[in-house]
Parts: sequence; C-alpha cells; structure tokens
Amino acid sequence: MHSHSSIQYDDFNIAEQYKNLKAVGNSLGSVVSFTGLVRDYQATMGLPSIDYMQLEHYPKMTEILVDNIINEAALRFNLVAVTVIHRIGKLLPGDQIVFVGVASQQREDGFLSVQFILDYLKTQVTLWKQVSHKERLYWVEANKEDLLKAKNWQHN
Amino acid sequence: MINLLFFGRLCNFCSGVPKQIEAANVTQILEILKTNHPLLVRELESPQVMVAVNKKLTDWHSVIKPGDEVAFLPPVTGG
Repeated sequence: MHSHSSIQYDDFNIAEQYKNLKAVGNSLGSVVSFTGLVRDYQATMGLPSIDYMQLEHYPKMTEILVDNIINEAALRFNLVAVTVIHRIGKLLPGDQIVFVGVASQQREDGFLSVQFILDYLKTQVTLWKQVSHKERLYWVEANKEDLLKAKNWQHN
Repeated sequence: MINLLFFGRLCNFCSGVPKQIEAANVTQILEILKTNHPLLVRELESPQVMVAVNKKLTDWHSVIKPGDEVAFLPPVTGG
C-alpha cells in the first residue's frame, strides 16, 4: 500500500492530492476523500465570528501517530493508497485544515476507511486547537461524541 | 536530567516550570512539581491527561532515565 502523510503549515491542493492518489494504478475502482474546514461555530449560532484558530502539535510524535492510524486502516480495509494531511499554525474560518484521501478497489473500503481515519485523527493524534474569540485565546475542549465514535471502531 | 514538555491547556499553568528535572519515574515528577506548581499538578492528575516518554504513550509508573523526554498530553482536539 502507498501512503503519504504530512503535518504542515501550508495549504494543500485537493486536485493535486486526487491526482496523486489516482496515479497509483489502474486497479483502482474509487478515490474517496474528505476535506475539513475551519468552522466558525460562533457564526453558526448567530454570535460574533471567531478571529482565528491556532493549532499546535507534538512534533515527530504526531507524525508517528498518524502513520499508525494509516497502518491500522490498511489492516482493517482493502486499500491501495492513503493520503493524510493536517495543517498546523494559524488558520482562518473557511481555511482547509485536514485532508484524508483513500484509493481502493471497492468504494466501501474507501468510505469506511476515511471515516475510520478521521475518527482516530480527532481523538488519537497529538494536535490541539486554540480559538481566538474577541481577541481572547482559549483551548478547544475534546468532544465526547468524537471519543465515542473512535471507541465504536474498537468493537468493529 | 529529564526533559519536560507540556501541551494544550496544560501550558496555561506552565509559567516558571523548569524545562528539566531530576526524577526516576513520572509520578516522582509530579511530587517534585507539587511544591511550587500545585495548579499544574492538579491539571496533570486529571484522568484524561496522558503521558509519553520519548514520544511513546506510557503509564505513570514507567521508569525514566537521564536524557529522556517526558511529555504531558491533555485530551487532543485535532481533525
């Protein structure tokens, strides 16, 4: 299986990532991808917008954990190629924050593995979000629903 | 000396905390920090905080040796 992971400040180009996944070969039947955006959750509630989001991580450990998740996904599903990109640093509402792309022979493996990788990215990888709102920075709390979703994979 | 790292909301309590410390295990680090940094230790004792030694998750009783890197990790919020 081919895999590529990156923890980076720079933005990513979805078309380029798709092209790279598709280039793996003609045995593919599907490329499934997910792009996460910085959501202005304040604005969704009709409240004043957030200023920005700041992401920090534990260098080198984050990369190890992301690769562990990719390897686990490859054990659970029939995958041909996987790409995971997570951005760090200062991001604005609407910015791309995460990309997960999977190339597989069958679409079921693509859909399920993207969900699996995302659920684990949210709960197992050493990344922490801070949000600036009204010029005050505070840490984002872990989401219990995300933890439950990741836990559910342990029984499947 | 053991190298200490704190991440996420733990950083809010890290002002003046030494970056290096002498200790034989992770629990001992907390004992030493308790005297001058009780608020940080209270956070560290939260059951959700995990510890990594040399970038590997481990338990609080792991033996550590000089030069090791001990990182305290609050619940993660990536994705």
